[in-house]
Amino acid sequence: MAPYLAYIRMTLRLTMREKSVLFFNYVFPLIFFFVFATAFKAERGGAINMVFAMILVIGVLGNGLFGGGIRMVMERDQNILRRFKVAPISPAPILVASLVVGLVTYLPSVLLMFLISKFYYGMTTPEHWPSLILFVAIAIVAFRSIGLIIASVANSMAESQILTQLLYFPMMFLSGSTFPTSVFPTWLQTVTQFIPATHINGGVQGILIRNESFLDNAAAAGALLLTTGVALFICMKLFRWEKEEKLKNSAKLWVGAAMLPFLAIGVYQTYAKTNLERQNQIDRQLSRSRNRIIRDARLVLGDGRVIERGSLLIREGKIAQIFEGSAPDAKVLNADPVEGAGKTLLPGLIDVHIHIGAPGGFYENLQDYGKPKQGERALAAYLYSGVTATRSVGDWLDSALALRKKIDQLQYTGADFATCGPIFTAEGGHPTELLKNVPSAMQATGRAQFLRLPTTPEEARLMVRQLKKDGVDCIKGVFDAGQPGYMFNRASPDLLAAMAAEARTQGLPVAIHTGSAQDVADAIAAGASSIEHGSMSERIPDETFARMAQAGIYYDPTLSVLEGMTGFAAGRTELLEFSLVQQAVPAALLASTRKYMQAAGSKQMRDGLGSYKMDMKIAADNLRRAHAAGVRLVTGTDAGNPLVFHGPAVHREMQLWVAAGLPPAAALQAATGNAARLLGIAGRTGTLAVGKEATMLLVDGNPLTDITATERITMLLLKGERIVRPDLFTQE
Amino acid sequence: MSTPVISVQGLEKSYGTFQAVRGINFEVHPGEVFGLLGPNGAGKTSTIEILEGLRPRTAGDVKVLGLDPAADTNALKDRIGVCLQQTNLPDKMMVCEALELFSSFYQRTTDPLLLLKRLQLEDKAKSFYSTLSGGQKQRLAIALALVNDPSVVFFDEPTTGLDPQVRLEIHALIQQLRGDQRSIILTTHYIEEAERLCDRVAIMDEGRIVAHGTPREIQARTLGLSKIEIVTEHPLPPLPEAAAFSAEKLLVGADGRSLTVLAAHPARALVELVKWIDAQGIELVDVQLKRPTLEDAFIELTGKRLRD
Repeated sequence: MAPYLAYIRMTLRLTMREKSVLFFNYVFPLIFFFVFATAFKAERGGAINMVFAMILVIGVLGNGLFGGGIRMVMERDQNILRRFKVAPISPAPILVASLVVGLVTYLPSVLLMFLISKFYYGMTTPEHWPSLILFVAIAIVAFRSIGLIIASVANSMAESQILTQLLYFPMMFLSGSTFPTSVFPTWLQTVTQFIPATHINGGVQGILIRNESFLDNAAAAGALLLTTGVALFICMKLFRWEKEEKLKNSAKLWVGAAMLPFLAIGVYQTYAKTNLERQNQIDRQLSRSRNRIIRDARLVLGDGRVIERGSLLIREGKIAQIFEGSAPDAKVLNADPVEGAGKTLLPGLIDVHIHIGAPGGFYENLQDYGKPKQGERALAAYLYSGVTATRSVGDWLDSALALRKKIDQLQYTGADFATCGPIFTAEGGHPTELLKNVPSAMQATGRAQFLRLPTTPEEARLMVRQLKKDGVDCIKGVFDAGQPGYMFNRASPDLLAAMAAEARTQGLPVAIHTGSAQDVADAIAAGASSIEHGSMSERIPDETFARMAQAGIYYDPTLSVLEGMTGFAAGRTELLEFSLVQQAVPAALLASTRKYMQAAGSKQMRDGLGSYKMDMKIAADNLRRAHAAGVRLVTGTDAGNPLVFHGPAVHREMQLWVAAGLPPAAALQAATGNAARLLGIAGRTGTLAVGKEATMLLVDGNPLTDITATERITMLLLKGERIVRPDLFTQE
Repeated sequence: MSTPVISVQGLEKSYGTFQAVRGINFEVHPGEVFGLLGPNGAGKTSTIEILEGLRPRTAGDVKVLGLDPAADTNALKDRIGVCLQQTNLPDKMMVCEALELFSSFYQRTTDPLLLLKRLQLEDKAKSFYSTLSGGQKQRLAIALALVNDPSVVFFDEPTTGLDPQVRLEIHALIQQLRGDQRSIILTTHYIEEAERLCDRVAIMDEGRIVAHGTPREIQARTLGLSKIEIVTEHPLPPLPEAAAFSAEKLLVGADGRSLTVLAAHPARALVELVKWIDAQGIELVDVQLKRPTLEDAFIELTGKRLRD
């Protein structure tokens, strides 16, 4: 033990006396730190996390490869190691001392940078900070070992310089330490997974930004430790005390051997791609935490209030401050400025009534209906259209939950997605008829996934409880007897009442589909949170609306589906021509829909739909009176149904409302603040208020006077992340 | 005679096809200073590094302090002192730190302060290695070789590259060590060093020991002739044959007053020459006797000069 301690003590003293050590471990990283912090505008939010990780890795590389490796070669070349050769010691104390010195010299530098990041740039202390220290310590030791193994195989200073640079530069430039790997094409991002430094960078960013723990980075840490072990073992075997002793050139392959664990990780990641996904999520979270200020815009707050000229500051993905009157200086606030003069800032729009499993149009080939990732593509279309939250009121349970998870975990960029899962109705009731088209082999699955047909109130309650366990966000029931020619079995009111009561107990909002005025009355009696559709064929009495207003029940008129169905029946292909529809909906779907509408084969279906009574005049009148009665209105579209395409539908819905005679402000409030309250997410979104998520769109013009202005989106933020809209459709 | 501290029998060392040491035998006894003498490439360093446990041998038996250097390497290293040629320490290491560090490597250690005093490095204790003169560096190297109070000390070319003044200092130190009853084995290619310091020397050439004994024995065993130079007041008359004086050769200078005589047995030749000159009634002005040097012996044995 004595030689180890003495050697460590001695090496430390010598290191402290070496100016180059101070330079490589402190001055050099600090210079880079400030340069990078300035370049990435770290003072404007989350980028400081990235800069901290970058500089940390650059420092680890320098400390290990130069401090560990080159130094050892120097001591051998200067006949210093030779002096120790005659003493009764093995190389072990020399190697161990190098590792310890690496830690002791560099960890304080990490701490220093952390303190600057925290107190000067406002970086938050990670939840798992001991994990950070442990992970960084392992990284330092691993890179010291890599330095030492280079020293072990290099026959001269020149050789060791070459080997060091061969590792240093690719690791600097490809690990994300000099620029984020997100700027690389996917194949190059895959290559980076073979590089040890990439995993240090990823691990540090993961711990800082995603609140990961050491265990989440066990694979990277394990590989680093394995590299350390293998490298030290090889160093012991190849250790040379004198420069005159030479090794064959083939010995240099041992450097590769020490890094085999990363070859394994790289190969694994080439297939699994989990790290690429993680990096993508990290980048999104970084983008979310950027400070921004939108200056001099009209602010439609979403709760009915409007600030004609104001500014809004975003920090850490949340609204930090709202200014009325003239805008503050962006520089003083350390925020990226967005000029909003002549534009209107709105909370993200919400569609409370969609069916993600249906396309909205028609495909030529039946198998196209089952194409993968249609849900993802649809949610990208919503986000593209400024619709930042959606609610599916009736979809196949498992696939809907899987889709929601994918969005929540940032694996795909799209609108937030909530789902009721299956629909409560009666045997033979709406929408059981939709399963007729499903192949017989899929019938049982389809019913289990899409329908709940309780026969007793107890069964209804049990089903709700089970769905709550499965993780649904709401409960959907149907009251609809249909019309002559299209008659349905109607659910018994006591069953839906039991369903609604249990849902409320479980804290889930209850959406009830209605077809007639009576259905609306029964839905209110059953305990609905929202009336979906109201009635498109009958006048809903004023008393009913009065009751709704009094009880705080939301009215979702879904005028879009009325227009879509009747438009489809009438062959109105101009509904495919709206600009935003063309932008957001896959061109192939629009083309095949147009073709289908013009084909003879669709005539029967169009005629059938055409004979079903749906009258815009009646629906508009109901909506006007609901508004007049003070009923809380929300925008749903029933997207997924014919000509109601996922994405742009809410804009059309608001236009139909305005056409029906509602003030644009009412439509805007319904699509934002009201919808958020119905969905139970008003605590974090739906309005522009301090503390809310920075989810908003800046549109060209004034939607309060011209509702179509909502389609002219010039900037879109999702929880602070600035969305590059065209990129949404090129996601993998 | 006491048990040898070092015994070498049939030692061979090859590097690939090159035979550096080709079967040598020698012994070193307690308290003895033993020199390995030879030109560059003679196999001196290979031999000594095998003894120090730094190199494996190809064949032969070697024992140092009863230990086999190849098998009991660390036990041996713990008990010997080694002063290699051309070693360095880190520039920013202080003299006292170097001693402290090396002390930690050994089981048995001696007082570093005494050591510094003895090597006249006391006032340099807090100096960085880089600030030391060549002689001070070498003295420190010797001090480090002594931290474990070894009973055998190896010096590999201890004065190579040092200026004459420093060389004398080092010689004095080694003589001092010898006073401590340590065995010392040194390699050198300075004849004077070997003559001055060594009790016994072995002359190596091309991997073999070509002569071995006390410096005087080696000189005596070789054919080296002593040189007698005589200067007289007046020119000498014609001289008889050299054999008349038991000498090998007589040479008279151009002035007739100086005489150079080469003789195998210089003492007898000198007596006879002086008698004869005295008998001629000529006054002697000067007489000098030069014995053959180890260098002469070396040249005779190896056909090479030690330094080219």
